[in-house]
Amino acid sequence: MKKLKNQLLIAAILTFGVVASTSSPGADQMTTFTARSGSKMRLEGTSNIHDWQVESPFIGGMLEAGPNFPTAPDQAVTPGKVEAKADVFIQVRSLKSIEKDGRPYSDAMDTIMNEEKLKAKEYPRIIYHLTDLVLKETPKSKDAPYVFDTKGELALAGVTNKISMTVNVTPLGDADKKIKISGTTSVKMTDFKIEPPAPKIALGFIKTGDDVKVIFDWMLAPKKAAAGAK
Amino acid sequence: MSENESNNQAFNRRDFLKGGSVATMMTMLGGVELFAQTNTPPAGETKPAAVKMKVAVIGLGAWGREIINTLATVPEADLAAICDTYAASLKRIASAAPGAAQVADYKAILENKDIKALVIATPSPSHKEIALAALKAGKHVYCEAPIANSIEDAKEIALAAKAAKRSVFQSGLQMRSDPERRFLLPFIRSGALGKNVMARAQWHKKTTWRSTSPNSEREKALNWRLDKTTSLGLLGEIGIHQFDQSAWFINALPVAATAWGSIQLWNDGRDVADTVQAVLEFPQGVRMTYDATLANSFDGEYEMIYGSDAAIMMRVREEGPDRESKAWMFKEVDSPLLGWEVYASKVQFYKETGIALVADASKPPKTDEKGQPIPEVPRTPLFCALQNFLRNSTDLDAAAEDYKASYGADDVDGLLESLAKVPRRASAGYLEGYQAVVIAATANEAAARGSRIELKPELYELK
Repeated sequence: MKKLKNQLLIAAILTFGVVASTSSPGADQMTTFTARSGSKMRLEGTSNIHDWQVESPFIGGMLEAGPNFPTAPDQAVTPGKVEAKADVFIQVRSLKSIEKDGRPYSDAMDTIMNEEKLKAKEYPRIIYHLTDLVLKETPKSKDAPYVFDTKGELALAGVTNKISMTVNVTPLGDADKKIKISGTTSVKMTDFKIEPPAPKIALGFIKTGDDVKVIFDWMLAPKKAAAGAK
Repeated sequence: MSENESNNQAFNRRDFLKGGSVATMMTMLGGVELFAQTNTPPAGETKPAAVKMKVAVIGLGAWGREIINTLATVPEADLAAICDTYAASLKRIASAAPGAAQVADYKAILENKDIKALVIATPSPSHKEIALAALKAGKHVYCEAPIANSIEDAKEIALAAKAAKRSVFQSGLQMRSDPERRFLLPFIRSGALGKNVMARAQWHKKTTWRSTSPNSEREKALNWRLDKTTSLGLLGEIGIHQFDQSAWFINALPVAATAWGSIQLWNDGRDVADTVQAVLEFPQGVRMTYDATLANSFDGEYEMIYGSDAAIMMRVREEGPDRESKAWMFKEVDSPLLGWEVYASKVQFYKETGIALVADASKPPKTDEKGQPIPEVPRTPLFCALQNFLRNSTDLDAAAEDYKASYGADDVDGLLESLAKVPRRASAGYLEGYQAVVIAATANEAAARGSRIELKPELYELK
């Protein structure tokens, strides 16, 4: 009886093991990428006085992508949906206003933008969550980027909105196997319940435009294996 | 006009005379002010508070006390501790630093993990020990000028600061943070003065510099400035700021120094000169002449830079509520007309007419709903230097944290590279602090030797 019970137990374990390994065929082909330095987030806006620009060198987070995601230059990939998820964050306090030549612009503007409008104390991070990734077409040339359509959610100042944008993925083919994800999109401050700032100046107001252009370069590389892993 | 009437005017006569802005001139001509500038934020919006950093002040002599009084007005400052080896000094300033711990040994401050930044205002000979220990402990350091009494010591401090990439090191050359001087810098360097001819500065104040104490040991410690083994004298304690300013505006470093010193009045056993003169030679025949004395007060303290088209005089008003820096331009009769000077206010100096150069000249003073001027915290050079120091320190710490949160803590090289790119608000760093000591200590040595000393370019480099 005991021997039969053991045999049944072993059979059950083997069966379960087979079922388990066949139920997620792509699991061991997902690649995890983590954020690397060299990234840049840039915001461009307008006002009745002059245009303005804001930058941060910190884009954190991770991307998990399936086998149809290009990890090396000139990799053959078929257009269509790519299994992927990504969680991205930007530290609000790292957003700094700059002059056109990159020199710091204004502490006062940074305080209004971060502390007041983006509510950095309550929401220290701008967060993006990717829900859908679709490769539009194979690149025309060896150096051309892979163009993807994305759908995701963007959360800032306590408000979340769905957002769609096109991104370019460029595997750098370097020793670290870095990839660069670049994109440009436009958001409205009022969509996030932010009243465009209108600070008083000597004779009247500065009225900031509602539309803000978002331009980013996100550097990623495959996650380094933890020490001691096989 | 009766006293009551004049007080009720939004711009009273005193403000008008000191102002020199386009707005005041228009008012005088009968113009109507179009603004209703108020300092109160619109309903529902609160002005966000500045991010504060816990800071300590070490050294509570006259200047340490001035620093503490200034920090009380800096929104970014959270004065957490004050330190002095002399208990009476701690007691004396305690009321200006409520809530600050009173500490006799600076090492206690270094061990306190909450205090991120500190200001060193001890006698100059003790700067090195405290600055090196503070940098080793990972603190942000504001070290008063001269950062050391010798070129070797200053180099040691500067190299330690250079290596401490996660810390801000600011030397106490506060005029480098002054908005008025920074406003003048591009104006002067744009060639508005014509060809650089020469520079001059002076510091005249009849005062003994000697402090007394019933305790003879204390008296010796208090009078460190009067002993040549512990003091660089007037050239190193006062002149250093003015030498640094001249070099900054001329945009070059001196190639030679000659100086003289003697005791003209205070024959009280000191061996440090109470009257000094110096000549600094810059490239291309430009020279700066300097005199400082503790024996006469006439015409106080100022710096001048002379060009072939105009000269500029720069002053800082020491007393009173209006202790901000001012500058005036004196034009040659044959120099080209600058359009805006027609509207600028002018002040008479002896027989010369000076055109007031004011940063933010057309910005009217803030007024409340009734049109009364709102008194603002005086933005003295020291205020600006300390505020920039604290803001730079906060930004550097935040950047390190944000880097680690975004990219992980493994890539230390990447972190330090990123920190090096964090922009710094206007201030004198370790290089400026070192170079200023090179100039001042050499001038002091030249006075002691009675001869001209050359300053080779390698001497200014930090290797």
